[in-house]
Amino acid sequence: MTTVAVPSVQPHTATETAVARPARSAVFSTLTRRRFALSAHTPREIVVPLLTPILFADVIAPALAKAIPATRGIDYQSFVAVGTIGLLVPLSCVLGGIGMIVDRESGAQRDLLAAPASRSLMVFGNLTVALAVSLFQVVALMGASVARGSTFDTAPSGWLWAAAAVVGLATLMHGFAEILAARIKKQEEYVGAAPPVALLPWFLAGSFFPISAMPAGLTVIAKILPVTHALALMRYGLVDHDGRGLHDIWGMTNTTAMAFLSLVVVAVSAAAVLALSTRVFTRAAIS
Amino acid sequence: MMSTANGGQPAIEVRALTKVYASGVEAVKGLSFDVAPGEVFGLLGPNGAGKSTTIGMLTTTVSPTSGTARVAGSDVADDPIGVRAASAVVFQDPVVDRTLTGQRNLEIHARLWGVARSDIGARISQLAVRFGLTDLLDRAVESYSGGQRRRLEIARSLLSNPRVLFLDEPTVGLDPRIRHELLDVIGALRAGGDMTIVLTTHYLDEAERLCDRVAIVHEGRIVALDRPQALLEALGPEIVELRVHGPGEPLLSFLRERAVIGDGAFVLGSTLTLPLRGTPAHELQAVVAEFGAAVVATTTRPPSLDDVYLNLTGARLAVAA
Repeated sequence: MTTVAVPSVQPHTATETAVARPARSAVFSTLTRRRFALSAHTPREIVVPLLTPILFADVIAPALAKAIPATRGIDYQSFVAVGTIGLLVPLSCVLGGIGMIVDRESGAQRDLLAAPASRSLMVFGNLTVALAVSLFQVVALMGASVARGSTFDTAPSGWLWAAAAVVGLATLMHGFAEILAARIKKQEEYVGAAPPVALLPWFLAGSFFPISAMPAGLTVIAKILPVTHALALMRYGLVDHDGRGLHDIWGMTNTTAMAFLSLVVVAVSAAAVLALSTRVFTRAAIS
Repeated sequence: MMSTANGGQPAIEVRALTKVYASGVEAVKGLSFDVAPGEVFGLLGPNGAGKSTTIGMLTTTVSPTSGTARVAGSDVADDPIGVRAASAVVFQDPVVDRTLTGQRNLEIHARLWGVARSDIGARISQLAVRFGLTDLLDRAVESYSGGQRRRLEIARSLLSNPRVLFLDEPTVGLDPRIRHELLDVIGALRAGGDMTIVLTTHYLDEAERLCDRVAIVHEGRIVALDRPQALLEALGPEIVELRVHGPGEPLLSFLRERAVIGDGAFVLGSTLTLPLRGTPAHELQAVVAEFGAAVVATTTRPPSLDDVYLNLTGARLAVAA
């Protein structure tokens, strides 16, 4: 039996009763580190979403590459390897929403909501971790893909385009995850709702083939999807230096201009969904 | 407005506070009360009475439909962060990061409440000693017993040295030994300083033992608000409880006609609860005999808050809870 020393709480002094309001940066840092710690204690959140894309990149893509040697001059295995990033990032970010529901239902979220800080910082703390995890997963996926023979451009500008696209796509999908997690009460319901959000756009975004190969109606839909723009940007940065994927979307000749336009599409959609998710989260936090 | 002993402002001021949820449920119906600095104030009532919704509004996790509330001088609607900076909550359900250690849980709370980084370690150590947590802090909270987790949550709530501490049903679901252990802990908080404590409970003994004043809440309204002793004294020094065959209303009416019982008498089924105010018990029993009721059992005992609640609402707290 544990013996509890009955606490003799010290009376407030004049100094102690001056109520502290923590700096936003300190709150953000604490919330981010907390989410990192929680994710580190649930490695399935990081590892499980990697399995399917790595299987695509390392098993299906090399096999298909033997049947389809090159797509518009691009090694098909490398083409598909980039396409699987469009599966990995949404899958990882959206499945991360389960952790948010766990936090709300059986974690410390309610104590955080009672903290003297803006509640929107919780969304940004979660986002920071989602971005870090996504970038780590993309590097792991690309490493696995290179090990099987894929080749990627190593020019810094190319990596920057690809990284910007990954960050934009992860922000967008994390925003969707926050909205879903705030709206859906139970984990079981969330697991049912997540795949359409994470996977459906990927099938239409030109992951395994150029969008120009699809029927005209589906091509129009593909051009609207931010995932299509993100994949075209990644390919432009890593494997498709002539920007054929961007040309399929915009039909222009200036590749850099098309890349900027696609980056704007990804960034604006990510910002809009993130703003909406912050609003939904802070409203859902109050009955 | 309530005048406090030191002439200062109340720690909590609630005026006509109302909450109607989107579903149409009116959980809180125009509550008004003040809590003085350093006071332990109890909200006593069964589940669904509106206690937790009231705490939710005072901790800014439930938005009031109308009315006002100020905590430590800050309005819950206009300055919610000010309210949260001055207060802390121990929730009814466990609210901890189970996969993290106790130490990590405490550190996160301390940082979010703006405790100086240099003070966090010492403050955690101090509270860990006081709450018997020292040997547990390096373990993941998921390995804690219910009582250990509760002590961790109470220790966590004190890290920021809050002016106002909200304890929402802090002993619900705990076994009796741990419950009494925690009551000692909370009682010591009461004795220790000028921290204002708002405690919700449906346990009568907790309210009697811990609270300076108690508001009895029934269906979203305060039906009585006073010191526990004053509420009990209103029922007189002693109560006779009679259990009779058949309904008790006819006997109660007869006793009223004979003016041997006061206003506080009430009946629940076949049980009459009769406060004695000046009438000797033997005289009451003689009138009962005169009526010819078949008395199954007679008990004489001091009044309890359950009697107060039953008298005011027509339901027993223990049953309603």
